[in-house]
Amino acid sequence: MTSSPAATASGSPLPEPDASSFAHARPIAGQAEWYKRAVFYEVLVRAFADSNGDGTGDLRGLIDKLDYLQWLGVDCLWLPPFYDSPLRDGGYDIADFRKVLPEFGTVEDFVALLDAAHARGIRVITDLVMNHTSDAHQWFQESRRDPQGPYGDYYVWRDDDTGYPDARVIFVDTEPSNWTFDPVRKQYYWHRFFSHQPDLNFENPAVGEAMIDTLRFWLDLGIDGFRLDAVPYLFEEEGTNGENLPKTHEFLKRCRKVIDDEYPHAVLLAEANQWPADVVEYYGDPAVGGDECHMCFHFPLMPRIFMAARRESRFPISEILAQTPAIPESAQWGIFLRNHDELTLEMVSDEDRDYMWAEYAKDPRMKANIGIRRRLAPLLEGDRNQIELFTAMLLSLPGSPVLYYGDEIGMGDNIWLGDRDGVRTPMQWTPDRNAGFSRCDPARLYLPAIMDPQYGFQTINVEAQMNSTASLLHWTRRMLEIRSRYAAFAIGEFTDLGGSNPTVLSYVRHFDGVGGLDGEGPHTVLCVNNLSRFPQPVELDLREHEGAIPVELTGGVQFPRIGELPYLLTLPGHGFYWFDISGEPEQQ
Amino acid sequence: MTSANAGSDPGAAAQAAPVSDTDLVTLLAGWLPQQRWYAAKQDPDAVVGITDRNLVAVAGEHDLHVTVEQVLIEVSGSHGRSQYQLWLAWQPEGTGAEEHAGAIGTAGGLSATDALLLPAVSRLLITTVADAAALGPVHAVREPDADIDITAHGMVIGAEQSNTSIVYGHSAILKMFRRLEPGPNPDAEVHRALAAAGCRHIAEPLGELIGPVGDEEAGRETTLGLLTRFYPNSAEGWAMALSSVRDLMAEGDLRADEVGGDFAAEAHRLGEAVAAVHADLAGAFGGRSADTDELRRILDDMAIEARSAAEQAPSLTQYLPGILAVFEQAAAHAASLQLQRVHGDLHLGQTLRTLTGWLVIDFEGEPAKPLAFRRSMQSPLKDIAGMLRSFDYAAHQPLVGGRPDAQHVFRAAEWAARNSTAFCDGYAAAAGTDPRQAGGLLRAFELDKAVYEVVYEHGHRPSWESIPLQAVSRLINAGGSL
Ligand SMILES: Nc1ncnc2c1ncn2[C@@H]1O[C@H](COP(=O)(O)OP(=O)(O)O)[C@@H](O)[C@H]1O
Ligand SMILES: [Mg+2]
Repeated sequence: MTSSPAATASGSPLPEPDASSFAHARPIAGQAEWYKRAVFYEVLVRAFADSNGDGTGDLRGLIDKLDYLQWLGVDCLWLPPFYDSPLRDGGYDIADFRKVLPEFGTVEDFVALLDAAHARGIRVITDLVMNHTSDAHQWFQESRRDPQGPYGDYYVWRDDDTGYPDARVIFVDTEPSNWTFDPVRKQYYWHRFFSHQPDLNFENPAVGEAMIDTLRFWLDLGIDGFRLDAVPYLFEEEGTNGENLPKTHEFLKRCRKVIDDEYPHAVLLAEANQWPADVVEYYGDPAVGGDECHMCFHFPLMPRIFMAARRESRFPISEILAQTPAIPESAQWGIFLRNHDELTLEMVSDEDRDYMWAEYAKDPRMKANIGIRRRLAPLLEGDRNQIELFTAMLLSLPGSPVLYYGDEIGMGDNIWLGDRDGVRTPMQWTPDRNAGFSRCDPARLYLPAIMDPQYGFQTINVEAQMNSTASLLHWTRRMLEIRSRYAAFAIGEFTDLGGSNPTVLSYVRHFDGVGGLDGEGPHTVLCVNNLSRFPQPVELDLREHEGAIPVELTGGVQFPRIGELPYLLTLPGHGFYWFDISGEPEQQ
Repeated sequence: MTSANAGSDPGAAAQAAPVSDTDLVTLLAGWLPQQRWYAAKQDPDAVVGITDRNLVAVAGEHDLHVTVEQVLIEVSGSHGRSQYQLWLAWQPEGTGAEEHAGAIGTAGGLSATDALLLPAVSRLLITTVADAAALGPVHAVREPDADIDITAHGMVIGAEQSNTSIVYGHSAILKMFRRLEPGPNPDAEVHRALAAAGCRHIAEPLGELIGPVGDEEAGRETTLGLLTRFYPNSAEGWAMALSSVRDLMAEGDLRADEVGGDFAAEAHRLGEAVAAVHADLAGAFGGRSADTDELRRILDDMAIEARSAAEQAPSLTQYLPGILAVFEQAAAHAASLQLQRVHGDLHLGQTLRTLTGWLVIDFEGEPAKPLAFRRSMQSPLKDIAGMLRSFDYAAHQPLVGGRPDAQHVFRAAEWAARNSTAFCDGYAAAAGTDPRQAGGLLRAFELDKAVYEVVYEHGHRPSWESIPLQAVSRLINAGGSL
């Protein structure tokens, strides 16, 4: 056995870079709880813009496109992992927490990105996988080489593979067990995901410290927060399924305390693909306003939105929102229509799983839509009305919306690339070579740009849509701008109105004036969504708002005053309305 | 006399009616036929008589600006006799009441309005239930754990109902029964029994208004109004089914199981809900099995009805032998029939999709039948048949009045079959017995219902007559049923 060069013979810890070795990004002007108001934009560094012509997007390329993102009106970028990695799991297999994947750039480039984004009022968060590392990580290499050394206890090692039998195997199709034998150390190591991703041993206090130091490293450089990956699995315990254990919550509370004490501007977003009633655990104690993660994704909402439109019924959405518990004061949901990594239906309550499967099993198209990763536009058959309706719901339902790069121009996917890569093709900037993404030889692109007649970059690209105010891109920008003007969309109380027509979803968002920006008074918006492709009337009980004159938000047109009788609206197929119903407009 | 005087001496006012019976009858003559719940609209021979008048509150009391009178009238005519409940509000003429919704007319210097439309009166009614109080001879009971919000504003909903329902905010609905009969009101009786059984598929009852129904047997009471929990974010099964059918009809080449608006999963859950309600009804009121004679009698009655139907609706004549054969066959094959309390008038319009699943509402039973029948033990197959007929109506309703189109007719049949099957599957899964295995009896009940519908449509909506008529034809052809 030969020791790796980085390993120290003496058994002293590996040297790791320190934040003081780098310049720090200038901070962004402070706004408390900014994440509650923010529109997030998930951008894949690899897919956005290539600055050096090697065919792969990079941090410098992303910096060049910040003006575009500022123009669009997004508030925070979410970057999936850009750390050094052997890339056997899309970068979620991290080989060095303090190094950037060389093809993306350097830590210095990342600081430059933070600085340039902050200068434009845009924040940046990234994924951090705390549960495990790549087997290529030095910690693991040291751990298997030297059981007595400083990293000997960094991973979960056993002499046999019988421990934690109640923890399910998540990737059943590729992993026979959660234990894998290591021929070097001659012991078994524990892994909840792939066997090339050994789980860190959080029972070892040094591991918790090392992860918190990793947080500090990036926070010192100026990052605005983390999406914490695979959080339910940090700790394991005999006789349990190894998910959501109390010790895991204790550790998250420790992380939150570091944030609150040292980096109060930063946000923690939990990736816990679970039912809302269970996910709320990850916000922590409501009595203190939440003391774990600031945000969690609301996973079941997305398939429900698709199901509602397919069934032309508001019930799938209304039901899931009625089952969503209240969240602590400092907390906010994250909601999305699509992202890089599709959800599954596995993590739902039994009753709801029965319900969803009863619906999905009878409908081959719905099954396919949920399992396969596809982009929004092709899922909706390129129907502009539906794309707008879905986006309008995303921007007005409770939670901070997360847009997926390219969906603002209605980009398509490439099903021939397989379900992972099909939605990760180069961003389409122009009708020119390589969609304006890279100046490399097209054969060198990390993935080919989409070229089909409907969604290809000749047709769908930023440049063309910038030039036409009727484009989806301009529409999206206008909607983001409207949303930003009304705190109610982000933090208003949500009330489902029901109504006479089951195909229409109507709700009110009421902002009581507390916790807004300077000069933001109480206000109320009314959102009405026609889930059917046919024109529909709906009668709404708006007696609580009697006397108000609804003002439609995209055009400013006044609608008839709300009286004591049910308020009648008619909507075109897949139409929607946003109204300000705060009161009577001042007389001119 | 003015209502203001009455207010100063409530004791005296309780005896003094605002206007004479004769004046009241004249006043009602023009108003009654415009009311949806009034059954004798078309009857030129209908005679209206006053049976009872109760001053329940006078202006000045309970923050009221009107005097409120509960009036029972008896209407006799070609359809027999029935009794109705009215709530009238009186106030001096010229105060603008004449222009309000629900204005009835004026007599003796007073204006009369339908009191149930007045916010002050709806508030009075819910407070009375919440306090388990009395208004003259009208008194209230409140369910022990009922959560009643008396501050919620009342609003009368949709005119297209057989009773008058007041919705209070988002919390409660008070159904004021229009037609009264002495004795327990099945809607209230069943709601209470099912709630006690812990049934999750009904609207929770909150309380009742009770009062005398003063005909010959003085002292007999009945439910005047039933207060139940309101489900603000709900939709009628009928509306849901229609949007599904509409979705299917808009497609050229997609089948019922391929379109987005597929209703089958809902129909399946609806079947489960109805089975659960039936099980709880049997648990609460008991059940028994009909012997061969009784079964034969039920089928004989169906045959008698069918013969008389064929006389009223000539379109039925050619099918009559086939109809009778189906009843005959059922009598020969079916061994026994389980009887119990049932819904009695079940169709998609009596189901509500709420955020927590399906509810069955309105347990009054078959509207035209006497109380004793509505409270009697019947076959649950009758309810199932009612649902299957409703699926058939929902499927074909969009085709009414249009040009017949083979494609749409085919799709309609496909939708009805798919959802009927899903409903029966759901029912069978929850009940443990499949209603389709009842030896031709389900088909007999369906046919009985369809025959009744043909006569009804023939008299009321001739352009709809073909819907049940085609069902009759389908049902009498072997294998045409489920
Ligand atoms: N508990 C309830 N929650 C919501 N809506 C209800 C409720 N009960 C009744 N409704 C609505 O009122 C309508 C009439 O109710 P129903 O009991 O059938 O009275 P009617 O005898 O007048 O038909 C129903 O079709 C339904 O739309
Ligand atoms: Mg009814």
